[in-house]
This record gives sequence, C-alpha cells and structure tokens, in this order.
Amino acid sequence: MNLYEFCYGIIHWLVDLVNNLWYWLGDLLPWWFGDFFTAVGDFARSDGHLSVMTILLEGVVILVVGLVNVLNFIWIDRKLSGRIFDFYGPYYVGYRIGGWLQNLADGIKLFTKEIITPAKADRVGFLVAPIVFVGSSVLVLAAIPFSHNFGIATNDSGAGIPAGVLFAFAMFAIAPFAILVAGWSSNNKYTLIGGMRSAAQMMSYEIPMLLIVASVLLLAGGFSFGEVVDAQHDIWFAIPLFLGFIVFLVCIVAEVEVQPFDLPEAEAELVEGWTTEYCGMRFGLFMMTSYLRGYAGGALTTALFLGGWQGPRLIPDEFWFLIKAYIVFFVVEWMRWSLPRIRVDQILGLGWKRLMPLAILNLLIAAAMKTMGWF
Amino acid sequence: MAEMWINMGPQHPMTHGLWNLRIKVDGETITDAEPEVGYLHRGIEKLCEDRTYTQIIPITDRLCYGSSLTWSHLYCLTVEDLMGVEVPERAEYIRVMAIEMQRIASHLMWLAAYAADLGMMVGFIYGMRDREVFIDLLQALSGSRLTYNYPRIGGVAHDLPHNFDRDALRACEYMEKKLKEYEDIYDGSKVFMMRNEGIGLLKKEDALNLGVTGPPLRGSGVKYDLRKDMPYSVYEDIDFQPRSHPACDCYARYRVRMDEMWESCRIIRQTVKKMPKGKWRVVAPRNAPEGTGFGRVEDPRGEAVMYVVGNGTDRPYRLKIRSPIFVTVSAAPKMLIGYKVADVVAIMGGLDMCIGEADR
Amino acid sequence: MAEAKQKNTYTGFVVKPMLRTMRTFVKSLILGRPNTVLYPYQKLDLPQVYRGLHTLDFKKCIGCGNCVIICPNDCMWLEKIDDPELGKIERPGVDIGRCLFCGFCAEVCPTAALHMTTEFELANHERNKLRFSPKDIRDDKFADTFKEERSRRSLPYLNMEKCTSCEKCGEECPEMCIAIVPVEGTGRKRPEINFAKCTSCGKCAVVCPEKALEMTDVYEAYFEMPEPKLVLENCTGCQACSKACPAEAVYMLEMPGTEKVLKDGKKTKPKKRAVFILEKCVGCGRCFRACKFKAIDMPGVKK
Repeated sequence: MNLYEFCYGIIHWLVDLVNNLWYWLGDLLPWWFGDFFTAVGDFARSDGHLSVMTILLEGVVILVVGLVNVLNFIWIDRKLSGRIFDFYGPYYVGYRIGGWLQNLADGIKLFTKEIITPAKADRVGFLVAPIVFVGSSVLVLAAIPFSHNFGIATNDSGAGIPAGVLFAFAMFAIAPFAILVAGWSSNNKYTLIGGMRSAAQMMSYEIPMLLIVASVLLLAGGFSFGEVVDAQHDIWFAIPLFLGFIVFLVCIVAEVEVQPFDLPEAEAELVEGWTTEYCGMRFGLFMMTSYLRGYAGGALTTALFLGGWQGPRLIPDEFWFLIKAYIVFFVVEWMRWSLPRIRVDQILGLGWKRLMPLAILNLLIAAAMKTMGWF
Repeated sequence: MAEMWINMGPQHPMTHGLWNLRIKVDGETITDAEPEVGYLHRGIEKLCEDRTYTQIIPITDRLCYGSSLTWSHLYCLTVEDLMGVEVPERAEYIRVMAIEMQRIASHLMWLAAYAADLGMMVGFIYGMRDREVFIDLLQALSGSRLTYNYPRIGGVAHDLPHNFDRDALRACEYMEKKLKEYEDIYDGSKVFMMRNEGIGLLKKEDALNLGVTGPPLRGSGVKYDLRKDMPYSVYEDIDFQPRSHPACDCYARYRVRMDEMWESCRIIRQTVKKMPKGKWRVVAPRNAPEGTGFGRVEDPRGEAVMYVVGNGTDRPYRLKIRSPIFVTVSAAPKMLIGYKVADVVAIMGGLDMCIGEADR
Repeated sequence: MAEAKQKNTYTGFVVKPMLRTMRTFVKSLILGRPNTVLYPYQKLDLPQVYRGLHTLDFKKCIGCGNCVIICPNDCMWLEKIDDPELGKIERPGVDIGRCLFCGFCAEVCPTAALHMTTEFELANHERNKLRFSPKDIRDDKFADTFKEERSRRSLPYLNMEKCTSCEKCGEECPEMCIAIVPVEGTGRKRPEINFAKCTSCGKCAVVCPEKALEMTDVYEAYFEMPEPKLVLENCTGCQACSKACPAEAVYMLEMPGTEKVLKDGKKTKPKKRAVFILEKCVGCGRCFRACKFKAIDMPGVKK
C-alpha cells in the first residue's frame, strides 16, 4: 500500500465522520437550509475534494518526517562533534536521555527573542528572502520518495513525479537568489560581501553537480527517481562512477556551506555572514534550512549513487533509505570537523578549475559504459 | 567597488584581544593597513610606582596573561640585578623548568586560537586539551592556573611538590606524542597548507629593520634567540638549539613555534635530570639601593625587556616595560599589503598577539 | 612570492587529519574515555596549594595586620571583635570582590593562621555578599585537615620580665649565637639570639633558672619586614607600644636612678622605657602608630 492510498484512507474516514454531521443537519433543517448542508456533504465526498485533501495530508506527512530528521541531524551533529573533540555532547537537558531535548530548548530560546528589522533595510526583500529560501529547500524534499510506496507522488498512475530528479535539482538551485536578496536587503556592508560570496560559491558548484547528475541519468535511462533506483539493482552507481561520486559529495558539501567551504559564514571576519541581521526564529529558520539542505543532499546522494532504498529485506525499505542518508551525513560531518576553511577565491578556483574537468571526464566514462551496453 | 577603509575590531569575535585594525580594501585586495592599539591600557607602569617590590609581582603576572610566568620572572631578574641578590641554584633550575612549561602552554594556546581563526574547531579543542596537562602541572606547583605569582625576589615561592619530576617527564612524553598528531592534522592537510604557504611574507631585511623579535623573526631565517645569544639564568648549562625556518611566510612562523615546543620538552627533561638540592629562596632586602636594574628574557612572543630605577626606598621610582608585541604589530602593514581580506586572520593570528602586554 | 620548499607531507589531500579525528572519536565513544567530567555532577580534585577562599584560625592569629599591609589591592581590613573566649581581639576580613588571590597574605602571616582553601565557587548576585567578615572565614580546626607545608623551626623566645641578666644562656650555647647586650639606661643585660645560626638544640632554655627562654615553633619568614628603633630621649614610658604589640616583643623596664624626690619627701616611681626584643618582632608597625611622642623610628612604614 503506498502513501497515497494510506492518506486517502485516512481522509476518507475523516470525511465520513464529518459527513454524519452534515447529513444529519441536512435532514433536520427544512427548506433550503437542509439542501445546503446536504450539498456540502456531497461535495466533501466527491473525488476532487478527497484527492486535494489527500495531497495536503501527504505534504504534511513528508514535511513532518523531514523536520524530525533535521532535528535528529542536529542532535547527531552535536554529539558527533563532541566525541570527535573528546568531550560529551549535550547530556542533561531535562532528563538524562542523551540531550535530544537540547533542540527543544534551542527552539524555545529562539522563539522568545525579540525580532528586529533594521531601519534602512529593504522591507520586502528582507521579509521575502527567508520565505523563498526555506520554501525552495522544503520543495526539494517533495520530489524524493523514500521507497516505491512512500513519496508524495507515488500513486497508481506512475512511480513518482515523471521528472523528479530534474525538479529536485531545480529547487535546490533557487537558494543562491534568496541568499543574495537576504544579504543585500540587510543594508550592511558585511552581509553584502557575505551574500555575494555565498551566491558565487553555490552557483559555481552547481555546474559540476549537474554534469554528474547528467551522467547518472544517462546510465539510468529515465528522469524519475524510481527509474534511477531501479537501474541500480545490479550494482550501485557509486562503483562504476566512483570519480563522479567523490566529486558529487564535494559539491554537496559546498552547496550546504559547511566547513571546509563555509567562508560566507566565517566568524572570524564577517560575524555571521549574510544572516547577521536576522534575529530570533528567522535565524533559526536559516539554521534549520541549512541542515535541511544537508539532509536533502544526503538523500539525493543515496538515491543517485547508493542504491536508494535497496537492501536486504530484514527491515523496511524506508529505513534503508534513511540509514544510507545518515551514513552520508556522517561522512560529511567527519570531513567538516577535520579541515580548516578554504579561502573564497581558492573555493571558486577549486570548483571551476578542478572539479569541472573531472565532471566532464565522468560524463565521458558514463557515455562509454552506456555505448558498451553494460547498463 | 571603490577603495574603502574597513575597521576590523575593536568589537570583533576573534581578534585575540582588544585592538583595532583598519585596512584599506580595493575589492578583495588590501592596499593599506593601520593597527590601533591602546584600548586595554591599564596604567601598569604607574601602578607599580605606588607598591613595594614584592607587591608588584602579581601585577606583572597580569601583563600578558597568556604567558604570565615569563613576565614575573623577568621582573624578579630585573630587581635582583638592582639589589644584587644571588639566587640559589635550585631556584634557578625550578624557574627554568616552570618557564619552559609555560612556553609550551603559551604556544598551545596560540595554536588553538590560530586553528579557530582558520575554521578548524578540532585544532582549538585539541590545543586546549593538551594545554590542560601543563596548566595542571603548574597548578600543582604554584596554586593557580593562569596568573601564578610564583617567582619571588630571591628565588621561588616554595619548593617542588612530591613526585613533580615524575609528572613532568610524563607530561613531556605525552606532549611529544601529541606533537606528532598535530603534524598529521596540520601539516598533513592540503587545505591548511593552501591557507598558509606563500601568505604574509616578511622579508629578512624588513624584519630586522622594524625590530621584530621572536618567532616572526626566526620564521624569516634569522637565528636569533636570547636564550642562546645572551644567556640568563642557567641556560648556559642546558643543551638545546634555537630553531628557524627560511621561508618567510605564515607556514614558517607556525613551523618555528612547533619546533620550539619540541625543544622545550628537551629542556624540561634536562632540568629534571640536573636539578640540584638546596635552598629555594633567600631573603631579599626590603629597600633597594639607588641605581638601575635591567633584565631581558626570551618571551614566547619575542624579546621582553624591563628597566627599574630604585631610589633607596622600598618602592621603585620607575619601572619601564618593553613588550615584543607592541613592536611586532607595527610590522603589520608590510605583511598585509597585497593579500586578500580572508588572509588577515591567518597573518595576524600567526603573530600571536596578546594585547595585555602591548597596552600595559 | 617565494614558495616554501618543503616536501609534501599530505597524502590524499585530506586523509591524514580525517584519520586522526576518527581515532579520537573511536577512543572517546567506543572505549568510553572522553577527556572531560560532567560538572557539576562530577568534580575534580584540586591540590592543596590551590588559592581559593581564605580561612582564619582565630586562636593562632595574633591580630598583627601584616596581611592587611602586604595586600597589593587593599582588600583586607582589621575588625574589632568581642569574642566570648578570646576577649577583645582584632581579626582580618577580606573582600573577595577586590582580591587577586595572590596568596601573599597567607605567606606573610607569622603564625600561619591564614590559609587559602580550595573553595572556588564563590559567585554571588550581590556585591556586598562578597565581603567576608572575620566570623565568616573563621575555622579553628582547619590546621587539622591538612599537612602544613611551611617550614618551621623551634627557636628560643625571650620573656624579658623573667630575665635576671645572669648570662648563663650565653655561656651554654654551642654555636655562640647568643650575645649579651646591655639595655641602655636600665643597668641590665639581655641575651640577643642570632636566629640564623641557631640549631634549635634547646640547651639555653634548659639552663635558664627563671625559664625566661622558651622554645617555640616559629615559621620561616622570607619577607624582610621593617624594624623599629627606639629614640630614647622621647620615650616617656607610657606603655602604649607595649600594649599595641601583638607579638609580645616590647617590654617596659624600669630605669633606676630616674626617681625624683617630690616636695613632700616622697619618691616617685622610676621612669620606664621600652625594650624591643627584635627577634620576636613581626614588623607590623603598630608600635610606631601607637607612639604619640615620636619615640619610635620605623623607616618606610606609613602612619
């Protein structure tokens, strides 16, 4: 049973429950009052209404799953960095369960802070930039299914969104615009510099990333996630396209802006970079979205290279997907806490001069493998 | 973008103390630089004129809180030169051992702050963790973790605790293992080398002309170390080599400090082996004769000098302090012009600024 | 720009640092040995020399005020206290808000009554709670809890009231460190003992017929304190210095030959003069401040 049917069942049950009320009112009240309520009940049971409500519920479920994963990521990040640094991470927050409630404490702290807008800031840009940033990152999650049955478009009509990979990467690439707007509209020299650096870095790492995705799609033969994962049933793409896998991992790290690529948020020079002027939960949203993009990057890597949801049948497919995404996250965090920052012109040099030729080489290898008929 | 002046500091998260660096930026490249110090001036030289010679020792501790034993030792050397007090040999050996431990602790704090500036939190935490070993040793010796108040005019405050030599040797072994680990983490990482090689050149002539001393000078190829060239205390009897590095960039200064930590471990081992028995303190006279006293030591940051003028009473007439950082920071324009804004932290971090001694 | 010529020590660009961090991670998580303790549930042991809050032994303290004088920051003061067993005494209090925790006060104390404990959790919301009066830091049993590290010797202390100038101690001392000096104006002599040469054999105390020499435990003093000098012409025998001295180093002796005959034939009592036993003096300067006739000269001490 896939997610669509599951949510359809829930909505159907809920609508039936509420329709008892409408039909009862319709029988009770005379004249056109009664007809009105009966019509409401009939509308609620119609196919269009049910499917719209189902899609909304699916969206909520995927969003909740994504956000819970983000909270887990933040917790793992803090405990992992603590153990790498030879101390405990958060420990006694409320109860001695290992400090997971630290997220709750941080969230409450951010909610209760005063929200200030700078006087000379461009109000529309200042308010719209977080919305675009967060919204586009969450939309990336919409396109990625966890398994054949769990995804926002996994209904009987097809195995997911027809051009899922394309949609995911398109949404992923909207972020630089939002960052530029946020940095510029804060009316601050430092955020402007930070925003421009960040946008330059993200755009220059999109190119190798998309070239590698193109090579994967060449081997998979289709544009949707279901086809890509099914094409890996013999061997995961990470092994023949090993070069592409490594370069893709580096590009994801640069997109998400963690060390060693986080000069736009470098504390030593620019305080917080392009998010300096945001206070309270707006800043919390940026931090959360940063981890959300990390999670999305991990999910994309899993789906494209590590076989998606394939694994022994001991545990359900969705958990395999999550386990592989967490392993990718673990490797990214390991790299994060071991290396210093790279200077911004060195970052751009790395992206254009070293990674792009490697990505093109990878494309040639993929084309060669396809013509030899191995895939 | 037109050229503009940017203020880095005085309120800034990671500038190692309270000072202001104004840089003139053309896009991303620096065309001029102007450091401004003086925000942390506490009037120490004036405070010293109103206190007796013994009461000044805790105040000199607080000159540079990163390496406070060096400064109180320097003060005691200066006043012993003025009063003509002869310090017993055991006290001299204890002082040298404590100073070398302090040198290792100061260099580790520099390493931690440097790594934090470059974005590597690992280096920060590991540096502080290893510094704890030496701070704990000095705490067992003197009673405090940061401002020790341990040297006295005429010796040291009290004798070594039990088992101190065993603990000192264990600390040296631990440090040598960790220095190998640091070589893996710093030298073995291409990213660190990319950030440091070829950055912040300070040529030999410029360094000598500007009066720069200490690791920045030794990183430009000049083998000048006060412990070998003008030995004080018992450094003549101890076998060690001052280290220098021919490349004049940030990597050379980093390498010089790491090598100095190796040498300090050797010195500690030799002092533990050679420690004589005897008294650790003599009673110094209360009133100083009329005259002058002069002392100079090799601080972890350079050459530190003190000059005291006595006038027959128990308070000094004048105490003059020369701090190495005050002179080294004036070499900043030479090192910064032509590089990018992101290199400023690497270059100024490599100088190991401790503003407490620059501003007094 | 000159490139540093050195051989490449990096393999695989980033492999070495990542292996090092993985090693620490495994040691910390799987072997379970991180480097920190869970404060405040687990605490570290501090060594005995640690300089934390002060503690004062009321019985050992003589109220000399040396600690108040030597403090670099003027954070101690002497407070007059009426104690049920000890009477009217003066004891020092400390203001933690100004204190440097340098330890000079504990070091200069002549009777080792003031110590610094290992208590460091002293933060408070109000500034006046940081002033600890002598009663707050009183702990008469502190000396039982630790091993005293300050070196002390057993030295003979002179009680001038019992001394009869018989000179037996001077003959008995094997080190020849007792010099018999005359006390000007009184016609008596007293022994002056050189503590630097004394070996604590105790023979002088045994041989004294009046038991005027008593072997007491004295802590080594490494700070040279100012010494008082008597200006005999100005001394009126008012006994202010003798009452002010906390260490019993000033005795009043009669000067025979200074009695006056009054008009009605009665004789007045002879004048008295102060005698300083400088070996017992701790250099606190209270005699200097108590004398109103400028009969005591103490260079370098403020009034």
